[in-house]
Amino acid sequence: MANPIISTKYLSAGYDETTVLDDVSIDIYENEITVVLGVSGCGKTTLLKNLIGLMRPTKGMIEILGHDMVYIQEHEYNRLMKNVGVLFQGGALLNSIPISYNVAIPLEQHTNIPDYLIQEIVRLKLSLVGLGHAYNYLPSQLSGGMRKRAALARAIALDPAILFADEPTAGLDPVTASSLDNLMLTLREQMGMTLVIVTHELSSIRRVADKIIYLDKGKVLFSGKLDEALESEIPEVKNFFSV
Amino acid sequence: MGNQTLQLPERVNIDTIPDIYNRVKEMVHKSSDSDTIAIDFSGVVHIDTAGVVTLEKVQTDANERGIELSFENLSPTVEKTMQAFSSRLLEKPAGKQKPHILEYVGEYTYEYWITLRDFILLLANISYYGLVALFRPKLRRKGEVIRQSNFIGVTALPIIMLVNFLIGIVLSLQVGIQMRPFGAEIFVAQLIGFAMIAELGPLLTAIMLAGRSGSAIAAEIGAMNLSEEIDALRSMGIDPIPYLIVPKLYAILLTIPLLVAVATFVGIFGGAVIGYTVFQIDFNAFYNEVVFILRYYEIMTALVKSIVFATIIIVVSSFYGLHVEGSAEGVGRATTSSVVVSIFLVIVADSLLGLLFYL
Ligand SMILES: Nc1ncnc2c1ncn2[C@@H]1O[C@H](COP(=O)(O)OP(=O)(O)O)[C@@H](O)[C@H]1O
Ligand SMILES: [Mg+2]
Repeated sequence: MANPIISTKYLSAGYDETTVLDDVSIDIYENEITVVLGVSGCGKTTLLKNLIGLMRPTKGMIEILGHDMVYIQEHEYNRLMKNVGVLFQGGALLNSIPISYNVAIPLEQHTNIPDYLIQEIVRLKLSLVGLGHAYNYLPSQLSGGMRKRAALARAIALDPAILFADEPTAGLDPVTASSLDNLMLTLREQMGMTLVIVTHELSSIRRVADKIIYLDKGKVLFSGKLDEALESEIPEVKNFFSV
Repeated sequence: MGNQTLQLPERVNIDTIPDIYNRVKEMVHKSSDSDTIAIDFSGVVHIDTAGVVTLEKVQTDANERGIELSFENLSPTVEKTMQAFSSRLLEKPAGKQKPHILEYVGEYTYEYWITLRDFILLLANISYYGLVALFRPKLRRKGEVIRQSNFIGVTALPIIMLVNFLIGIVLSLQVGIQMRPFGAEIFVAQLIGFAMIAELGPLLTAIMLAGRSGSAIAAEIGAMNLSEEIDALRSMGIDPIPYLIVPKLYAILLTIPLLVAVATFVGIFGGAVIGYTVFQIDFNAFYNEVVFILRYYEIMTALVKSIVFATIIIVVSSFYGLHVEGSAEGVGRATTSSVVVSIFLVIVADSLLGLLFYL
């Protein structure tokens, strides 16, 4: 089997006194869509934050694209993050500038592409998430679901090798949600992207997931292919897929 | 120039695009009508979305100039990627039209008027509920008057004392030095007493409160406004003005006379310290002079001023808080405006009241 492009070993992390992640060891492979599951509060967002280096684990090892995320240097980190797109749970758009600028930021900062073309690229990215008409809007002029989509457009601005998405379809209508699912499949197929998605939407999971990681109280309860997850006899996992 | 060919590199992505774009542009500039440019894809292994956008864009730009730009030798995978991210997907951005200059002036004037109207309305509302909520405590947020009195009054005390003490020192030093050649240093006491009680005590206190509490109120209400907390209150049938703003009004009205009294006392004390150390006026004599100049009239003036200043601070800061728009940046702007406008209006009111009381 190929080497994983994201992997953690015995990763533990938390906030102050509380331990949220406990000995989490996972492997994520190139060009696959891995869905991280679990009831809310189980530590999914915390896991993502550790993976992308925004939080330091209390113990364990994290590797992304061959870089050790725990001891990574600042400049190496910035270079690595060009290849990593992140969609935050709350969107995290810069609120004082239109969404088109938000999407343009990574393109302006990390490439030498002329402005004229950047505008076109931004229009394509916004159209891909169905927001081409909202080019000039400020984030505050958009609904919650639209902000999520704008944030997704920003996360894929550079065609990153890896996309982390924290609940990309939560709170979206089923039509938009399924079009975003299709977008993710397209990105994987055409761009060879690797996606790590946190989601609870069963229909989304069935449509896009290759692999499932089920977290429970900070521990990995299940990790494997979607089919295996659907057949799993682990009570929590079984319960999740049968509701 | 005739026919030109551009061989694309193995990877057409954000790193190679600037170069490709420049080379195509150069070829287009060299060409004339009905020339052809061929883009050869035979070596391309990978193309990203930015690559698709760029190539489609240069193609349409060339076609507009009457130059035929064609894509050749696309592999099936590249072809598929080109399809998946083609500009046919592009939606038109909703355009905004530039208004006519007169429309601009009209809108501006109208907005100015609306702002003024809203401000007066808010003032009326706060005054009305300020009275009504006295008798209907249920309208107010529980425990809020105490909490706000503590924040507006008690925690502001040290800084207000320090500022007034320093001003007392500086003022008496300046005045004393001017008086010394006439042997009239003792008048420092009268002047400090009068200036502090009728003018500087209330004014300095109000300026400190506008900067400290006014900004906090504008930011708090502004943030609540943005996160739809104010709407949520309304939807529960709770009027935000008596619930949120009136307790702050009570708190500031309760505490400002005390703050002014302390501020004035400390200011005069600062003057007395300088009088004693620099001008050899002893504390007893200083005290007698201050009491001599002191009338109820000045104390009344100070009280009226503090009440007016307090009301200005509350109304202005809640006005800006309630009118925050957009994002966190809007909160920052509202806070700044609230401080600047409250201080300005406090000084205007101070001048008007000064004229009223002493003309
Ligand atoms: N900033 C924080 N400080 C302290 N505890 C936190 C913080 N963020 C999250 N937690 C706690 O960590 C646990 C996991 O949170 P999170 O990773 O956000 O869960 P989810 O799986 O819903 O994304 C929760 O119990 C939460 O209360
Ligand atoms: Mg979460």
